[in-house]
Amino acid sequence: MFKKHFLFTVLTLLMVVSLALAGCAAPAATQAPAAEAPAAEAPAAEAPAAEAPAAAAEKMVTIGFTASLTGKLNVESTRQNNGLNLWMQQVNDAGGVKLADGTVVKFQSKFYDDESNKDRVQELYTKLAIEDNADFLISPYSSGLADAAAVIAEQYGKIMITTGAASEGTYQKGYTLVYQTYTPAGRYLTGSLDLLASLDANVKKIAIVHENDKFSTDVANALEAYATAQGYEIVLREGYDSGTTDFAPIINKIEAAAPEAVLGGGHFADGQQFAKSMSEKSLAVKFISLLVAPPEPTFAEIGDAALGIVGPSQWEPLAAFPADFGPTGAEFVEAYKAAYGEEPSYHGAGGYMAGLILQKAIESAGSLDTEAVKAALDAIDMTTFFGKIKFDVTPESHGLQIGHEMVYVQWQKDSAGALVKQVVWPSAGKTAESLFPIR
Amino acid sequence: MKTRFDLGFWLVLVAIAVIAFPPILGQNAALREKTFTILLAIVMASSLNIIMGYTGYVSFGHVVFYGLGGYMGMYLVDNFAAPLPLAVLAGGIISGALAFLLGKAILRLRGAYFALVTIGINEAVRTFVSNFQPFGAATGIELQFAVYKPYGGPAQALWFVYYSVVGLAIFGVVFSYWLKKSKFGLALMTIREDEDAAEVLGIFTPDAKTWAFVFSAILPGMLGALFFFKNGNVEPSDAFRLGFSIESLVMIMLGGQGTVLGPILGALSYQQLRGALLTSDIVIGAFPLKDFQLVISGVLLLLIVLFIPSGFVGWLRQRIPQLRRVLE
Repeated sequence: MFKKHFLFTVLTLLMVVSLALAGCAAPAATQAPAAEAPAAEAPAAEAPAAEAPAAAAEKMVTIGFTASLTGKLNVESTRQNNGLNLWMQQVNDAGGVKLADGTVVKFQSKFYDDESNKDRVQELYTKLAIEDNADFLISPYSSGLADAAAVIAEQYGKIMITTGAASEGTYQKGYTLVYQTYTPAGRYLTGSLDLLASLDANVKKIAIVHENDKFSTDVANALEAYATAQGYEIVLREGYDSGTTDFAPIINKIEAAAPEAVLGGGHFADGQQFAKSMSEKSLAVKFISLLVAPPEPTFAEIGDAALGIVGPSQWEPLAAFPADFGPTGAEFVEAYKAAYGEEPSYHGAGGYMAGLILQKAIESAGSLDTEAVKAALDAIDMTTFFGKIKFDVTPESHGLQIGHEMVYVQWQKDSAGALVKQVVWPSAGKTAESLFPIR
Repeated sequence: MKTRFDLGFWLVLVAIAVIAFPPILGQNAALREKTFTILLAIVMASSLNIIMGYTGYVSFGHVVFYGLGGYMGMYLVDNFAAPLPLAVLAGGIISGALAFLLGKAILRLRGAYFALVTIGINEAVRTFVSNFQPFGAATGIELQFAVYKPYGGPAQALWFVYYSVVGLAIFGVVFSYWLKKSKFGLALMTIREDEDAAEVLGIFTPDAKTWAFVFSAILPGMLGALFFFKNGNVEPSDAFRLGFSIESLVMIMLGGQGTVLGPILGALSYQQLRGALLTSDIVIGAFPLKDFQLVISGVLLLLIVLFIPSGFVGWLRQRIPQLRRVLE
């Protein structure tokens, strides 16, 4: 009896603590400084005196977003955060952005974990918009989550830059304040097909095997339409369930269809496993191109199975675009390495870009007013270390990225026999000849 | 069949009112979003309580009704520009119909077998929808932003959705209370205590269980239509997320299964805890507290199952007999 009583007391205490936590969480969150922004609190005195007269007012602008700190997308999301923080640190250290009326703008971030699922996205974005007074928003990582957040962004007249929300659908819903950083899903694998055509015009039989989720299906649909128009024969179109770990039955199907090239994949874990299984089964194809997984440095963990696999990447450290705004590629890579001790992937670059796009728009507008910044975003046509940035401004697909192009990497062996990534397409930016046929 | 709406009934209604009305009175959108999540959980938990708490059958895959109702509602709104109330109703109807068919087929199973089958059904429906073209297959259904116009723009539409979910919550708990006090409810509880004895007493248990299953499925279906309309899109992985089912179970266990007030308190405290942990900036050592909310829910469930299986309300009822008339 005593034991039971004691345990009940413990349990009741837990419940009470939970309610108390709930009670004090809201004010605690709003008052908290942007702990993850290393230089968000940089004192005004650091601003060079020549640029900002002592009397100039300073305004702290808050960028709000949710990130997938837990759940299946946490690797991508963490790198994206790193990129954004690096941008924020650099722009604040350089004295911020000066507006037309002389006000100096500095930046801080405020974010919450969305656990990679939709339950609380709208709740958290409403909180960011109203309670945390975020001036600008950045989208959650995937298209589905970004859609839910966009409803809130539009409602409160907040501009939202998306990173990682690649599906075209998001921009064709009539939103006016949502802008895309990345090349849209429809163009992820079409470049692979161009590469294949340049390598061997006689290859005509392809198989499209993709993860059965929204993003990969959008990519596959666009690829299928493009391939058919180019005169390719699609001998197999197959979707596999998210989380598939056993690819043997699928590879049997591919073997039976006897394609010359395999295109598809989905996200990192399944893509890596798929590549490994194709190698184990010695699938006799000349060309393999997979989504998302190949550009990640850890893809090479599967050893020789990675050899020859081509993948689309939003950006590569090797790619050298002549930047007319922001740092050059080499400067970005160096700064990122110095800050985080690793080579940046395109997710890191994407996070940095979201900030850079906002910075450019605010500078051009000379104001923080939503309408003025929106007009400046609509007019952006710049080349950065990340590539070209330009948005569709038609009402049908407002905010869709139309400037940026993918680069395609392939895992090859260097002279010492170690696996390295090389850019193989577009031909203007390539760092090595393609390995072809791979088997 | 006389139903007495006594103190316990009013207590339940007051609980809902205290939760639901502050955002309306203050017209506070941030609070509204937070409360929406809580009300969603209350409706889900109260509905699941009918089959789990009253009848004693654990439905692990209950989210299937939420997802299917959501899909049905979104399909109607997207393709036929159906007004929201109609879409919500259709969501409830299709979920009820699925529960009826399933109930006829699988409610002859008892105990753990039933629980396992419900998980299988959720997976089966998810896979089916992932390949079903009218529902958009793997890419799901997306609504145009203009869909909120007839409701006075997105801001008003979200209020409209909120009022609807408040309505569902009130209906849900009143229905749950009425059911518990009815003769049919008594039959369900007899099944829970001893199914063989119930049969001997003249209750045709497969039918009674099927209807309990149907009643527990309708509101989640309506809820799904509201939630996904509010989000503007639906995908299979969001609609049939097994984790949501498990969370509903935790809420019921926490508050007290088989009681009317239990699921309300359980949903409230669970969602408050989760929301607080998610948005807290508290860091213990090197670990931000917000990464641990699922661990904490797991430990809570473990403690409850081990030591007070009847939940908070159930335990109070056992310990303080005077409260039995008040806490339903």
